[in-house]
Amino acid sequence: MELFIGSGLLLSTVMLFQIRKVMDSVAILALQSFMLSLTAAAMWYKTGIAHLLVAAVFTLIVKGILIPYILYYTIRKIGVVREVERSTGRYTSLLIALVLAALGYYISAQLNLPSKELGKTYLPVSVIMIFLGTFIMIDHKKAIMQGVGLITIENGIFLIAESIAYGMPMVVEFGIFFDLLVSVIVIGLLMSRIYSTFDSLSTENMENLKG
Amino acid sequence: MTTMDWLWLLLLTPLVTGVVVWRLKTSLCAWASLAGAALMLIAGLSVVCQVAGGSPLSGWDGMLYVDVLGAFNLGLVVFVGFTAAVYSVGHMATELADGAVSVRQYHQFYSLLHLFFFSMIAVSVVNSIGLMWVGIELTTVVTALLVGLYNRETALEAAWKYLIMGSVGLSFALLGIIFIYLSGSFVFGDNPQALHWTVLVQMAKWLNPQWMLAGFVFVLIGLGTKAGVAPLHFWLPDAYSQSPAPVSAVLSGALLNTVLYGILRIYVVANSVLPGQISQYLIFFGIFSIAVSVPFLLVQRDLKRLLAFSSVEHIGVILLGVGIGGPLGMFGALLHMFNHSLVKSLLFMVAGNIQQKYHTRQMERISGVIASMPVTGKVFLLAILALAGSPPFSLFISEITIMMAGFKTGHIGVTVLFLLLMALIFAGMVYYASRMVFGATPAGMTVREVGAWSTAALFLPLTLIILFGVYLPPVFSEALHKIVVVLQGGY
Repeated sequence: MELFIGSGLLLSTVMLFQIRKVMDSVAILALQSFMLSLTAAAMWYKTGIAHLLVAAVFTLIVKGILIPYILYYTIRKIGVVREVERSTGRYTSLLIALVLAALGYYISAQLNLPSKELGKTYLPVSVIMIFLGTFIMIDHKKAIMQGVGLITIENGIFLIAESIAYGMPMVVEFGIFFDLLVSVIVIGLLMSRIYSTFDSLSTENMENLKG
Repeated sequence: MTTMDWLWLLLLTPLVTGVVVWRLKTSLCAWASLAGAALMLIAGLSVVCQVAGGSPLSGWDGMLYVDVLGAFNLGLVVFVGFTAAVYSVGHMATELADGAVSVRQYHQFYSLLHLFFFSMIAVSVVNSIGLMWVGIELTTVVTALLVGLYNRETALEAAWKYLIMGSVGLSFALLGIIFIYLSGSFVFGDNPQALHWTVLVQMAKWLNPQWMLAGFVFVLIGLGTKAGVAPLHFWLPDAYSQSPAPVSAVLSGALLNTVLYGILRIYVVANSVLPGQISQYLIFFGIFSIAVSVPFLLVQRDLKRLLAFSSVEHIGVILLGVGIGGPLGMFGALLHMFNHSLVKSLLFMVAGNIQQKYHTRQMERISGVIASMPVTGKVFLLAILALAGSPPFSLFISEITIMMAGFKTGHIGVTVLFLLLMALIFAGMVYYASRMVFGATPAGMTVREVGAWSTAALFLPLTLIILFGVYLPPVFSEALHKIVVVLQGGY
């Protein structure tokens, strides 16, 4: 079970390196969040800690449905149907992603920190997701992909919270969901303003401020 | 009214004001904002006074908790907030009349400004480290919209950089908080109070030191990014220089302290688990921030960027003070937080007046401020001398205190370096300021202040800076000593 969900999460993250159109990333993110919600549900099934189930439901609603919808709406509104732009080629970036994944696996194997038994499988997965999310933010030139990278990082961190830590206190989790939702709304707002001012979403145009 | 009622009033006032000004008639916006800010100041100061004089305040099932450290930040937030609200009455009216902002943006500004106050107050009064993170993340989204208010290309670039850098930094801070939660989860299980820092400090002996160290490092890097600690400060000069002047004042005067407050809170917990093992990180990032800011301060052309890099420097001074530690170092650091907050918010407001008068931020095109705006010019001169750390202003006292603490605790090398860097910065600051303050006024410029409200607001922080330089009230220094006890793990 853990292996199935863990590899599903990894696969959805690596798929982000193969996309051609910006819009594809939204569906992949939704898939990733769906797997994340499965993780929380599986942890609930094993431990019987009730708030993990609540977290699973909220992950599904906020990360699986609302956030992809906001991104979809923003992309539709500003009409970026064009292909993604990377600083490296499509295959180079996949190669770097795989190297980073191996590195993430190695590092988490080296970490000798006491943890709870049930969540151990997920630690390498979350480290890899954090690494790959960061790489997406650096690699892509379209501003929206930086948002996608950020959400991937957040998902990786959330995975650690849900698996190894068996979930955070309820109130804090609600706060985190709320914040993430507001952040994505603001990212969408700023993005459409950037698009109407610069007439492009490429971050290459945004290098006026220096020194 | 009980203190708890005041606390609720303090939390609700900015929230309600923020929503109300959104729908209010344009001519009433500024007055509603001013009334809201005044009520916030009264409620805030009454909470601060009662906490400083008595025991910590706790309520709402232990979710809300204000002790002297929280009250210290609360006091600064409401004071700087109120000052900025007074200043905005004049500044934003001029911006609206000049067509720099539209009516819609004018409403947005006031609405977001009060939501910004709300998020900072929330950070200072919650007990849970997790909720504190939620509050700090909330400040990021609110201020990103304020930084991008003008909708110019540069403003949007700054807002985007700020939002992305801030969010990534805070993600790492969240990871650190999860690690801290893990360090206690073997003791607490899934106790909902496991992230309350009052509980964490008391249970320090039983927390896992490995997770705690990893957690502290991630939080320091994450919140450090958000505060603008070098080398993660790149967004800071952009955001500070592109936002409207009152927002720059609150960003540097209140938000910076609020994030530092978060770092301090977690430092207290981590320091009780790993006594003496983590201050080296603070010393390193502290002295590094000061050193990095020096070249940017010495070859700067833009007035607001000069002030922004000076903020990077002063974050460094504060971290250094806490890192050097001991009662003296902590005392100096706290006093420096207080002083820097007042002086820097004052200077950003002065910069706003200069920008409205000269229509530029380029320092080479600004000269003769003291002749063209007699009041603002004089305040500018005093404030920049205070910022550079010259006696008799209060920043001189706090910097000297940190230096003395450094020598006393045997951090000789770092302290000597600190002294040298401060001398360089002093020279640079005074050179630029004297060129702007004195010299010939541009031809055809009238001798007139830009506005009564935006000039009057300058005197609120200025009075305190001068007063505290000459005379440190015993009540105030006693309160600081109480905070030092909290910082060393007491409660």
